[in-house]
Amino acid sequence: MDVNAINPILDAFVNILPQLGFQQIDKKGVKLEDGVLTNPGLIINIGVMGPLKGAILIGMTVDNAKMFASKMMMGMEVTQLDDLAQSAISEMGNMVCANACTNFSQEGMSGLDISPPTLLMGKDAKIKLSVPKAVGVTFSVDGIEIIVYVGLF
Amino acid sequence: MSIRVMVVDDSSFSRAVIAEALVEGGFEVVGEAESIDSLIQVYDECKPQVVTMDIAMPGADGFECSKALILHDPKVKIVLVSSMKDEETEQEAKRIGIAGYVQKPVEAEDLVKIINSVLAPDIVYNSLEEWAIGVFQEAMEQSITRMTKTTAVVKVGQSLNHAVSQGVTVVIGIIGKYSGNMIVDLSVEASENLSKIVLRRDAKNSEEVVALVAEFANVVGGVACSMLNKKEKAFGLRVAPPSVFYGKETQIVSPNIQCRVLEVEADFGQMTLSVGFKKGSVLWM
Repeated sequence: MDVNAINPILDAFVNILPQLGFQQIDKKGVKLEDGVLTNPGLIINIGVMGPLKGAILIGMTVDNAKMFASKMMMGMEVTQLDDLAQSAISEMGNMVCANACTNFSQEGMSGLDISPPTLLMGKDAKIKLSVPKAVGVTFSVDGIEIIVYVGLF
Repeated sequence: MSIRVMVVDDSSFSRAVIAEALVEGGFEVVGEAESIDSLIQVYDECKPQVVTMDIAMPGADGFECSKALILHDPKVKIVLVSSMKDEETEQEAKRIGIAGYVQKPVEAEDLVKIINSVLAPDIVYNSLEEWAIGVFQEAMEQSITRMTKTTAVVKVGQSLNHAVSQGVTVVIGIIGKYSGNMIVDLSVEASENLSKIVLRRDAKNSEEVVALVAEFANVVGGVACSMLNKKEKAFGLRVAPPSVFYGKETQIVSPNIQCRVLEVEADFGQMTLSVGFKKGSVLWM
């Protein structure tokens, strides 16, 4: 996969998060992952079809997911990841990927489409992607660490 | 009782024009907002059945306001009302989950039509809901017979949108007029048995087992989507490549999707398949 192909997705992340109430979004690092990832606690899986195929996954620890959901819900206390918190986090994933499709199409790659998000919670579970290599980009979002994995071909 | 509509537009003139068209069409205007600041509060107070939304607004635009509303209430029905109308806007609206679109200047007749269609039961979606589980059942039976040369009992189980993995979970996104997810789940033992039967030997390692289960799920999903597309061309369903979760207990949730479940009893062991779609088509006027 062309590493430049990840930019529209990263731009989408940086663009959407402020709309959800986050202020400081910093890219911390980029890592080439092999085709098997490890779940940090919670992963959002979104399937992608069109000129690029595969999945975009967004991962964080469960504690970070609670902090993230709390911030998204205007500071409401989140002690466990209930339906509301799960729905908020997965909607973030949907919006980032939807915006990424828009960015791709503005760069001349139209026809990308995404599936609804599935949340998978299980620390240290392995995730076998359909690609041999994926790119993992770590962001700090108001101090909350979130990793965006791009596994497209 | 008339249908309750809320109008979001930064221009008081536009709000008045849209409100007039709505009233003329027999709707009740129950609330108005001019920006994202009062949006959620007004929405909660007036509990509309439909929200009309301008796109170009200072500060947060109609897309951002729509996202905020959808986050607040995933069931909200939003109709964009804007002078802009192009393919990209249309696609963006679809992805966000907007229900309909009317071009300005607003004709009362168009507004009535689109609001009624947005609230009417979606016949194509309802067909998909009605057929999907039976078709996936058939695709599962067929795929087991073809790939393992054995037969299996496949029953429709209780609907749910969350589950705990039995060991190996394949997640496959479905894309088309309506997007969705298919999740196949089975124990490590059943995965190994399935591999052994299909390969006619023991799998070399766990990677081979995982790859085989992914391929099996992919076949079931692909067969089912082709069968559904044959019944209704408009579905245009395709499966995205699978992601497989294994190695640790995992909770699986498909937020805002009601999944139907198939329970499989096969020679290789038990397996479940859950599948669900979300309404995501946008009506254009």
